[in-house]
Amino acid sequence: MPLILVGLNHRTAPVEVRERLSVPEQKLPEVVRTLQGLDGVDGAVVVSTCNRVEAVVSSRTENVIETVVDWLSEQGGSDRAELENHLYILRHTDVVKHLFRVAAGLDSMIIGEPQIGGQVRSAFQTAHDLGALDTLLQQVFAQTMRVAKKVRTDTAIGEHAVSVPYAAVELAKKIFGDLEGLQVLLLGAGDMGELTAEHLHKQSVKQVFVANRSYNRAVELARRFEGSAVQFDAIDEHLAACDIVIASTSAPHYVIEPDQVERALAARRRRSLFFIDLSVPRNINPAVARIDGAYLYNVDDLQMVADANLELRQRKAGAAEQIVTREVEDFRRRLVAQDAVPTIVELQQRLEDIRSAELEKCLRKVGPITAEQREAIDMLTTQMVNKILHYPILQLKDAGEEGQERESLRKTIRKIFGLRS
Amino acid sequence: MNFDVTDTLYVALAAYALGTLTVLTSLIVRSMRLQYAALLLMIAGFAVHTFWIGTICVRTGHPPLTNLPESAAFLAWTIFAVELVLWIRYRVYAAAFFVYPLVLLLLTLTAVVGQPYRILDPDLQSTLFTAHIFLTTVGVAGLLIGLAFMILANVQDQALRSKKRGPLWKWTPSLNVCKVVSYRSLAIGFSVYTIGLITGVMWSYRTTAGFMDLRVKQVGAVVAWMLFAALLQTYISGAMSSRRTIYISAGAFVAIIVSILGIART
Repeated sequence: MPLILVGLNHRTAPVEVRERLSVPEQKLPEVVRTLQGLDGVDGAVVVSTCNRVEAVVSSRTENVIETVVDWLSEQGGSDRAELENHLYILRHTDVVKHLFRVAAGLDSMIIGEPQIGGQVRSAFQTAHDLGALDTLLQQVFAQTMRVAKKVRTDTAIGEHAVSVPYAAVELAKKIFGDLEGLQVLLLGAGDMGELTAEHLHKQSVKQVFVANRSYNRAVELARRFEGSAVQFDAIDEHLAACDIVIASTSAPHYVIEPDQVERALAARRRRSLFFIDLSVPRNINPAVARIDGAYLYNVDDLQMVADANLELRQRKAGAAEQIVTREVEDFRRRLVAQDAVPTIVELQQRLEDIRSAELEKCLRKVGPITAEQREAIDMLTTQMVNKILHYPILQLKDAGEEGQERESLRKTIRKIFGLRS
Repeated sequence: MNFDVTDTLYVALAAYALGTLTVLTSLIVRSMRLQYAALLLMIAGFAVHTFWIGTICVRTGHPPLTNLPESAAFLAWTIFAVELVLWIRYRVYAAAFFVYPLVLLLLTLTAVVGQPYRILDPDLQSTLFTAHIFLTTVGVAGLLIGLAFMILANVQDQALRSKKRGPLWKWTPSLNVCKVVSYRSLAIGFSVYTIGLITGVMWSYRTTAGFMDLRVKQVGAVVAWMLFAALLQTYISGAMSSRRTIYISAGAFVAIIVSILGIART
């Protein structure tokens, strides 16, 4: 399997190095073309995300590694010696395993994150559109995408939120189901609150109201979420109308008290109200959590949810790794078998030629025989040839991990049976 | 050994038993595949169950509602039919943990009591009587489904409040869905049950010139009706997660079971 991968990621290289090598989407086709144009490169793919830059090439010779490293250092305008400290170089089956793991999100900073699958697909697609994928890389591409899907379906590794804002959205869904048509009230302009409101906005909530001590800032934020700004003093009026309240102010005291919540719940006929308190010090009186119909989560609660989900993902990663290992082995076997096909076909043809020639010679000596007798002799010789070929073919199809070992076996068989290729 | 087509009841029972066992196993091992396997087994049981009900209808010329085993079997059938509709509409996996055992329990009751299906007494051959039995059975199915979803809503409420995920967290739909399904099932079930009781009283008046004679099933039915009315009131007032609601639900469930068992003493 003549595959080589040279690259770096968030574990091997700091952001200063990664950003130099990172390839913007619009420049990717040009970069792939230059990689494919290098001496000894048959097929080429470049995977570039914020956490990794990897060049994958298929080549008949390992000498291409040096060329690719030079190319990378040139791309990033980096000193080659310095760059080498951050690079990893993978060969053959290890490349396949690495790509399977990357696409499944097992090599990501946050295990199981879903975006990477799309990024790998897009990288291969770009190379495919440029005609930079040879047969081997096309097979690797198809199998990588299949394995990534299998891992996600079978283990549900990306199912749970692992960041505080996503955990809040996940909890909101557990309370309200579909978030479409809900109203959100954002109190304050803290970063985390803003991010949470943004995630909720993406879930097609009906309206986001923003209240801030500075009304102008509220207007500015509301415009971002296509919502409305409200005066901070008027939040009582909006509490009853909103289903989700995000508190993210810098106020050193509670801005929402239990009696306000009681009034709001009575006005909304006890329909559930979800409070997300992302401020420190807290902005929502903890006593609110004891009110029927009110659900209060502060930043620590949400962090605990995110941590528990991360732990869950890590547990699922074990099962995912097993899938990857199995799939790599299956893929390797398939490629080896595929690789051996020309030799096997030639071997079968060679023995069949010998059999037919010798059979004809023998039959000429024996003289006239009946059709049944001829059929019996024909069957006997065919079966003998098949039995003789059984083990050599099995060995060719199932040769070991090492390419050299396989090549040596093929050479030996060619020599023994006098094959031309 | 002679096999009568009515013996298909035992085939349905076996499929329900396997389905229930599988769904409970899925809860322990947390496997979605086992959940689907359980659903398939229950659907297979439901198909055979439907065939059995059809056979009884053809043989007797009326729905199988004349005695306890028949009513229990029809109730089980209705409950699973409603559960199936809700599953298709809301994909509520957790309800299976309550509904499948309930269906199995009711059909076991049919098999254990073992009273053969019977041709209706001439006294009972009236549209009013059939309507009474049919409506109360469908009403009870709605009420029991409503109770199952109410339990789910409470489980979900507790999990959200305590910030701890229980074993049902993964399988339970949103709190809102649980509440909506529970309320709708209770409201529809209660309305149908009420009409069923009224037709029963009318039929009783026609045949015995009295509204009711305080037999177990009648007292149970009236107590259940009052408790379900109180339960609906707590929903409408928005106090469904209070402790009082839990007591009322438990009482209503017991009263319904007593009235079902009371049919055997008719």
